[in-house]
Amino acid sequence: MAITEITSPVAAAAPGKHRAAVATSLPPARGQSFLKLVIIELRKSVNTRSGQVLILGILALALAALTWELTHLGDGKQAFDGYLGAASTGVMLLLPVIGVMAMTSEWTQRTALTTFTLSPRRIRVQLAKFVSAIVLSVVVLSVTVVLAIAGTALGGSLSGDGASYAGFGGALAGAYLTTALNVVMGAAFGAVIAQTAVAILVFFVAPTAWALAGPALFKSNADWLDVFGAFGRIAERNLNGMMPETLTAIGVWIVLPTIVGLWASSRREVK
Amino acid sequence: MITVENLSKRYGSTTAVSDVSFTVEPGSITGFLGPNGAGKSTTLRMLTGLTPPSAGRATIAGKKYADLPNPGRVVGVMLDAAAQHPGRTGRETLLLNAALLGVPSSRADEMLEAVGLTPAAKRRVGQYSLGMRQRLGIAAALLGDPAALILDEPANGMDPEGIRWMRGLLQDFASRGGTVILSSHLLGEVQATVDRLVVIGGGRIVANGSLEELLAGSGTLVRGLDPVGLNQALTAAGLALEPLFDGALRVDATAEQVGRAAAAAGQVLLELRESDGAGLEELFFQLTSPTAAAA
Repeated sequence: MAITEITSPVAAAAPGKHRAAVATSLPPARGQSFLKLVIIELRKSVNTRSGQVLILGILALALAALTWELTHLGDGKQAFDGYLGAASTGVMLLLPVIGVMAMTSEWTQRTALTTFTLSPRRIRVQLAKFVSAIVLSVVVLSVTVVLAIAGTALGGSLSGDGASYAGFGGALAGAYLTTALNVVMGAAFGAVIAQTAVAILVFFVAPTAWALAGPALFKSNADWLDVFGAFGRIAERNLNGMMPETLTAIGVWIVLPTIVGLWASSRREVK
Repeated sequence: MITVENLSKRYGSTTAVSDVSFTVEPGSITGFLGPNGAGKSTTLRMLTGLTPPSAGRATIAGKKYADLPNPGRVVGVMLDAAAQHPGRTGRETLLLNAALLGVPSSRADEMLEAVGLTPAAKRRVGQYSLGMRQRLGIAAALLGDPAALILDEPANGMDPEGIRWMRGLLQDFASRGGTVILSSHLLGEVQATVDRLVVIGGGRIVANGSLEELLAGSGTLVRGLDPVGLNQALTAAGLALEPLFDGALRVDATAEQVGRAAAAAGQVLLELRESDGAGLEELFFQLTSPTAAAA
């Protein structure tokens, strides 16, 4: 049978007729502002069961750690930074996982199909995911800080020696900076490795493996790629004159995966 | 409304889609057919900005998909209803999309009502059946009150009631001026729903026209009291025919010609009608078999 071609299209059923009004008339169509994208990404991190379980897990860990502290009161004044350190164990471990999942779950759950159909400009969406991961980490950490303050106060009155908030500002600054850096690193790994489980695994293993093996292999040159060292220095807000090493570590472990990840996800076939 | 011009896609040395062009006009439903691997999904993905074309262009309302500031308000897309996060509730999935599209949350509830998912709205999508996910996907596509719909296998996994409901929904959408392009393997359903057909085979368009025109000449179906005698009579009259599995005959002729030939031989007829059921399937295989594709 020969190829059938139609030269003149069939007339439209109702040429020029406007679509019937919907029950409620909709506001005019507008673009998607970056702020809106960030808010949507925040919603996405918390409106799934896995996201909710993670956040509750972090807070549960904080409560458990604080309870332990309160039941094993040390001597003397109860120090806030000790309580904060205990409470933020969960934060440091699990918040970066939220960062990873913000980037990877679109691909493993295949919701990338919907996300990138509704918002075809992918780089904006990915950047919004980074920002939302940072915002979420700030919120969760703040809740943890409040719990730690309450714990310190409670511990102070229980032990009878009072509480000490020395270094409060420094402890907070260190905590927020470290958390934000860890979450961004998690998101960077998630951007490059689009599989949740693999990304989480590599995130936990790779920098630690380097921190352990690097000094043995490269002696002091390992400092150039020691990202935990870099985080520590930034948290202390004291670079010890190691600015180039710090920048390189951040560059290799965060900036490079982010750039590669953004490029890769823009071109990745959505299946 | 939806225009595809010389669209091509190459993966290395393989050409998945080659020089595909067609137009979908407002107020019509166009069926997009083709065997698996023919390039249907690739074409639809190029249309929705998910896959960059190697050559050619695809526009919706005159603009490339990625240039639309908020595409969901112009064209509702459902490419895979299974691509929804199982940990989110149905209602939350729609509310999320509604926020992105800039429509009020009441619209999400309206759509849930329209697709019949209100009782299940608060359950997680992971607990939905396939048909329910399809309905959710349709609801999401219609959320922004778009002027066009691009649907890949919308009736997949739906029961007959769902399929009939979908047909009604799409025909209502088109009658109000909307543009629909849907791809499907359910040829019977396609025949009942669409006005126009675009058939793709081996990465190329092999048919593009209105359903009536493409199916015209698919012949007449006739069933006689004496099948063998009828066969002989029609053959003797010079009519080309093809026996069907249930004893009926499909004849490449008008009903009048068949009737006269049968009457001349004194054959009693039990059934004489236009052969449509076998038509689309037959047409499909003729167009997309390897020899046709090479032609």
